[in-house]
Amino acid sequence: MTPEHVQSLISQIIPCEHIEVEGDGHHFYATIVSAQFDGLKLLARHRVINDGLKSYLDSGELHALSMRATLTPAEWAARQQ
Amino acid sequence: MSTQDTIRQQVTENPVILYMKGTPTFPQCGFSAGAVQILKNLGVNFAAVNVLADPEIRQGIKEFANWPTIPQLYIKGEFVGGSDIMKELYASGELAEMVADLKAE
Repeated sequence: MTPEHVQSLISQIIPCEHIEVEGDGHHFYATIVSAQFDGLKLLARHRVINDGLKSYLDSGELHALSMRATLTPAEWAARQQ
Repeated sequence: MSTQDTIRQQVTENPVILYMKGTPTFPQCGFSAGAVQILKNLGVNFAAVNVLADPEIRQGIKEFANWPTIPQLYIKGEFVGGSDIMKELYASGELAEMVADLKAE
């Protein structure tokens, strides 16, 4: 699996204002910015992504995804400053 | 006792418990090592379960919290999160707040 593939899978789970995925084919690191995270605590945000990727994680097709940041557009904008 | 009951008992009896790969002294995964380091930095006593030593717990813990990966941290019986969430909550100071009353004991 490539970072581009992982990025596309995540984009199918939720609409992303911004998404970055890096990785070596086994471990991936994602920064995900989506309005859908609004009102959700950190654990709930991670669950949205983990649940959406469940079949790929279970099958081992996707070995490990580390979420560096899961942000709302407002939180993302604040970080850019 | 079923595996789920065993886990429920472990997280209830230990105010801070980490399910990890390896032991705190010899972690066998970078993410588990990072989780141990965070708890050590917080200066809180914690129990650790080496899931590599018990296949039933290794599978059971993923079902218990409906969480696909290890490490997993529980504080006062509640699932806190995995490695990424621990890092973020530690950086923001929230994790220190969650264990503040436990350190005083």
